[in-house]
Amino acid sequence: MNKSNLFKLLALLVVASMALAACGGSGTSDSQSSDSAQNVTSSGFVCPEPEQKMDVTSKELNIFVWTEYIPTEWKECFEMVYGVQINHDEYSANEEMYAKLKAGGTSYDLVQPTDYIVSLMVRNGLLQKLDKSKLTIMDNLDPAYMDQPFDPGNEYTIPYEGGLDAIVYNADNVTTAPVSYADLWNPEYAGRMVLLDDSRVVIGMTLLTLGYDVNTTDPAQLEEAKNKLAELVPNVKLFDSDSPKTALIAGDVDLGIVWTGEAYTANQEDPAFTFVYPTEGAVIWQDNWAIPADAPHLDAAYAWLNYTMQGDVFYLMLRDFPYLNPDTAALEYAKANYPDLYDPFMGSPVTNPPAEAIQKAHRIDDVGDATPLYDQIWTEIKGGE
Amino acid sequence: MLKRLRENKSAQGTLLALPTTFWMFILLIIPLILTAIVSFGKRSPDGNVIYTFSLDNYIRLIGISSDCPAGQTTCFNPLYVQILWRSLTLAFNSTVLVIMLAYPLAYFIARSHPNRRTTFLFMVLIPLWTNFVIRVYAWMMLLRKEGAINAVLGWVAHLLHINFVPLEMLYTPGAVLVGMVYEFLPFMILPIYTSLEKIDNSLYEAAADLGANPFRTFLRVTLPLSMPGVVAGTILVFIPVMGTFIVSDLLGGKQVILIGNLIQRQFLDARDPAFGSASSLILMVMTLIVTYFYTRKFGFGEEIVAA
Repeated sequence: MNKSNLFKLLALLVVASMALAACGGSGTSDSQSSDSAQNVTSSGFVCPEPEQKMDVTSKELNIFVWTEYIPTEWKECFEMVYGVQINHDEYSANEEMYAKLKAGGTSYDLVQPTDYIVSLMVRNGLLQKLDKSKLTIMDNLDPAYMDQPFDPGNEYTIPYEGGLDAIVYNADNVTTAPVSYADLWNPEYAGRMVLLDDSRVVIGMTLLTLGYDVNTTDPAQLEEAKNKLAELVPNVKLFDSDSPKTALIAGDVDLGIVWTGEAYTANQEDPAFTFVYPTEGAVIWQDNWAIPADAPHLDAAYAWLNYTMQGDVFYLMLRDFPYLNPDTAALEYAKANYPDLYDPFMGSPVTNPPAEAIQKAHRIDDVGDATPLYDQIWTEIKGGE
Repeated sequence: MLKRLRENKSAQGTLLALPTTFWMFILLIIPLILTAIVSFGKRSPDGNVIYTFSLDNYIRLIGISSDCPAGQTTCFNPLYVQILWRSLTLAFNSTVLVIMLAYPLAYFIARSHPNRRTTFLFMVLIPLWTNFVIRVYAWMMLLRKEGAINAVLGWVAHLLHINFVPLEMLYTPGAVLVGMVYEFLPFMILPIYTSLEKIDNSLYEAAADLGANPFRTFLRVTLPLSMPGVVAGTILVFIPVMGTFIVSDLLGGKQVILIGNLIQRQFLDARDPAFGSASSLILMVMTLIVTYFYTRKFGFGEEIVAA
């Protein structure tokens, strides 16, 4: 091999290393043309007709959603039914979505903000008010998920799914079963726990064990929580908000704090994974649909909401993402047509929590000025010597 | 005019450099200036940047804090200094390990039959065709408690009738080090190989003629002549290791916070771009200082660059 060739090789390496830097998510798009009366997806799912077909002149719809958080059939069906091409981008943290919208220059038509980030987005003018006259599915939505403190009167959002952050443990390996967040400090669990990589949830549950509010901004209470949390660190094997069930199922850890949907999936894989609503009350959250202020394809956005939230389409969420389901029409449809999906979903305390667990649950709000303090505590907890 | 340009070599040079200069200005200089401006700003309650001139972010990085235990007005919190120090030592350790692994391999390739060298170099490059993150995931599979390495060890222990407790390898600082070494190994092998391959065979013969044994030949001939490759490789490895955050996130279980993780968090969870910008600038300055002293002592490995 001569020198000039080798140098080309080196240049190639440099280019490759630049490609490494670009490992962020990128958009994918696919289009389908509707040429038959019967719309069937590549997976064999027969697309239901829209209950009320809307006039859609837009040729595109840009959705910005959580990683793996919509059933794949939805996209194909919507494209076939309305002849609209869907451009699909994903994010894995509310802050990531917020930062992207805040920076401007995006042209998303729909986003899925979680409760605490909604008020922040509204304050910063990133969302537009929903035109309820264009939403035909409002009656499908369970009032328990409506009119929440982060969006009184649902002016900007409609609920998508909810869930709780609670304790899951492997009954085969854990001798003393935890019943509260406070129990997690048990030295028996040293190096055996996975926690969500979420400063607000983990600091929040520590505050709960001390009897404080999950949204406190009092520096003294937070300092106390920090010291308490530092004592928990020896028990923690890893922090993971991408797929916390993986470490549980792979046997790297035996217990942890995860979202209900993840706990349900872990339990389906191995019944030894047992779910606990802590006595202090779990952390509860709700994801929502919202339309960014500068959305260019409003007609398609409303058509998407109406189509995907109709019962015979939204029931797919029970199959793919078994979290708290706010769509009563979907539950009824599943009950009548897919009892094999509906019964285990309603029968499990993970996906259908007792009313008491929901009543006692705590909701995370934006803490404004105290955010850097939370972050510093988090950095100290994880980065301290 | 064209004719004059054809004769004027320096004008040709300027013209050829223009596009690159333009892009460097747009994509490097301007963002750098913006970062510097933001780093002197403050965070609004909603996480926007308030543009002012304040050194608060830098003071916070150094560790002088204003919210102290009761009775003190200022106090010292070495958190961020510790994180910087940890990143620096990890980058140093990774680089040393990479040199120790890469040098023998590069030597082997350079001294092998010319027909085989291309194959060997090809094998060094092949892993780079796979995405960086996927290769890190592969290491997670290997290092898990119920992963491939523990499975093999357990099997061997079973054959030898030894009691075996699975090793805790994943989600430890050691796993992060292994990941870094693995990811950046090719960037060291190639420059060292290039400088070794350039050494004229007659030099070895001359050394042997003058009575040097192979060890002495290596110390007095091979090693000094291959130093430019080591230097170039060190720069290619040390700098990216300083800033990478994916490896420590995935293999360290987000328990090993490096300066790269700190910066990333400021732009996302903490919504504090001002502090994030200050941290980035500090990282850049620190890397520059280390590289400056290093290159002043050893050069840039120019022989490699000019090859």
